[in-house]
Amino acid sequence: MADKEKWGVANIYSSFNNTIITVTDLTGAETISQWSGGKVVRSDRQESSPFAAMAAATRAADDVKEKGLIGLHIRVRAPGGNGPRTPGPGAQATIRAFARAGIKIGKIEDVTPVPHDGTGRPGGKRGRRV
Amino acid sequence: MTSIEYLKIPRERVGVVIGKGGAIKDKVEELTRTELEVDSESGSVAIKPTDDMEDPLSVWKARYMVKAIGRGFNPEIALKLISDDMMLDIINLPDYVGKSKKAILRQKGRIIGKEGRTRDIITEMTGVYLSVYGKTVSIIGDFEHLQVAREAVDMILNGARHKSVYAFLEKKTKEMKIKEFKEIAKDERTL
Repeated sequence: MADKEKWGVANIYSSFNNTIITVTDLTGAETISQWSGGKVVRSDRQESSPFAAMAAATRAADDVKEKGLIGLHIRVRAPGGNGPRTPGPGAQATIRAFARAGIKIGKIEDVTPVPHDGTGRPGGKRGRRV
Repeated sequence: MTSIEYLKIPRERVGVVIGKGGAIKDKVEELTRTELEVDSESGSVAIKPTDDMEDPLSVWKARYMVKAIGRGFNPEIALKLISDDMMLDIINLPDYVGKSKKAILRQKGRIIGKEGRTRDIITEMTGVYLSVYGKTVSIIGDFEHLQVAREAVDMILNGARHKSVYAFLEKKTKEMKIKEFKEIAKDERTL
């Protein structure tokens, strides 16, 4: 059974600027594959686009299959802290691309760090001045 | 496979989530192939996945839909979240103006504007849906337009004048139109 049912964890960090996919084993200590939106597109602006996320995810899926994993648990993360707490546009695309590549999707978890009242928002008293 | 998701909605919105004779609840269940369990007493909603679920994300989508309805959206608009491009963004007012009830009320009034003028301008220019409810401002729209709308609301909350917010919106919509044209032209060239 240990040979057939190997699972991993896909850590997806999805911000408005980029999408980073890190696939690890179940312990999280051993990285299997690492891809990001920036590795597949040229312009900075497209790093966070769903298309870039999909391309990165399909490549990560190839690595995953090569290692013989049949499924992935998902840990989605938005920037969190002072920033936005909702995952960016790449998160959904990534999970869908994994599913389409024939990888089983296990538990989906949101691991966005939420402060129990942390530091202040950037910008200062008079707000962001452009 | 995915586990059960729980969330809480205001009690006065429970009736809307369920709908007339369970119509809205059925619709959400049908669209996402999940099972909703609404506790009318506490306002907590449990979203359970069913076996014939095709999309691993549908539990999330159901969650966003229920959340949007709980945040004051018309169920018809909330159901648009089934599309992949539509996103929900919730702005928490106390993060900007503090806990003071008066300050929250004032900023809500500023976002809505006289007879809803500001709200109408934001929704018309960017094509998003806006809901000001309780202590939150929620936006439903596609990713790019949502960001513009969010920035406009941010500006108002940070004390910008309405005039400058309108100018900002006008500038951004113009920019976005130009960008769209450029992208179309690029696509045609690559094809």
